[in-house]
Amino acid sequence: MIRSWLKVASFSFAVALIASQLAGQAKPAPAAKSILTAAELTLKKSIGSPQAPITLEIFSDYQCPACQDMYLHTTLPLIDNYVNTGKVYLVHRDFPLDMHPYSHQAARWLNAVAAATTLFEAAEIALYSKQEQWGSTGNIEQTLAGALPAADMNKVRAIELAQRTQLDAAVESDVALGKSRNVNGTPTVFVIQRGHPMVPLPSGPVPYPLLKQYLDSLLQQR
Amino acid sequence: MVEAAPAALSSSAPSASRRRYTTIALLIARIALGAIFVYAAYTKLHYAGAWHLHDYDFIFAFGITSYQMLSLQNALWLARVLPWLEVALGVLLIGGIALRWAGSAATALLLIFMTALARAWMLRLEITCGCFGNQSESPGRELLLDGVLLLLAVSVTAGAFLARCNSRMPNPTRHVTK
Repeated sequence: MIRSWLKVASFSFAVALIASQLAGQAKPAPAAKSILTAAELTLKKSIGSPQAPITLEIFSDYQCPACQDMYLHTTLPLIDNYVNTGKVYLVHRDFPLDMHPYSHQAARWLNAVAAATTLFEAAEIALYSKQEQWGSTGNIEQTLAGALPAADMNKVRAIELAQRTQLDAAVESDVALGKSRNVNGTPTVFVIQRGHPMVPLPSGPVPYPLLKQYLDSLLQQR
Repeated sequence: MVEAAPAALSSSAPSASRRRYTTIALLIARIALGAIFVYAAYTKLHYAGAWHLHDYDFIFAFGITSYQMLSLQNALWLARVLPWLEVALGVLLIGGIALRWAGSAATALLLIFMTALARAWMLRLEITCGCFGNQSESPGRELLLDGVLLLLAVSVTAGAFLARCNSRMPNPTRHVTK
């Protein structure tokens, strides 16, 4: 009687072991293993310290010329002078506009970069500085491949392929957030300070010298 | 002169009522125009659910710079001054104080706004109008609205100047009674 029970138990254990092995094989490749939520992706797309006194959330579209202008002439000096010095926490939000044919794809690729690597900033610089090229051909992957190391680019490709749905969902989550805040153009910047209501800046490129004066005055008031 | 007297007397009743209607219409126009100026200032000082008396100038200046007409410092100066100028004009118009000057200033201001909007439209600049807060972004619609406001402002100014002229002119009925 005991022997037959032992047989049943060992058979069940073997079945459970085989089932778990099969389930393990069904899992995606290691590169695409980590499924990030939209919130986790947002964290990976943010630059600086979350403890900074001011948070700037920028809703942008990689194919929009005004966003290119804003990124190259305002965001980059802002990163150097305010984000890297701990004064500002910069949060990127995707807001691809339907008028641009490749902006949804670009947002997905950049989310894949954020999910797979720590090279989000380098990828952003590449896309914005070569916007005219990929904007006419749609060859975003090639543009990124020219800017990222091959090993990282392979990880990005794997994530982009395996988690396209999740990446698109993350982009749509940003778009929904933007719409809930009445964002109707890009770039749109929100200034957030603890204990103060969120302030939307007028939609459009923000000149760095004026933003600098504004941020300095906000920092002085604290 | 004596023959003209009955005609003048007979036409005095309709002209008096017309004058009353005109006075009422101009009163409504100047109150509406004044209220719109005060509202325009309010949207620049109070937005996103709070008063921004300490930083309204920066926020409004971001909109002004999108017109690409002024230097950064001039845009900031204009952003600092304009809402209070709008409040002052609005109060003067509503209160009927210094109406000729307030009307003229409102007309001039609206002409400047319209020129800036038309220029931005012609150059196809992606502007943030800034006319009624930071969320108003349609130059075409704002241009139309400014056109209507300009009509009101011109009417109020013309009415104020005409009223001044009429008060200085001798009253014709006095000659008749004499």
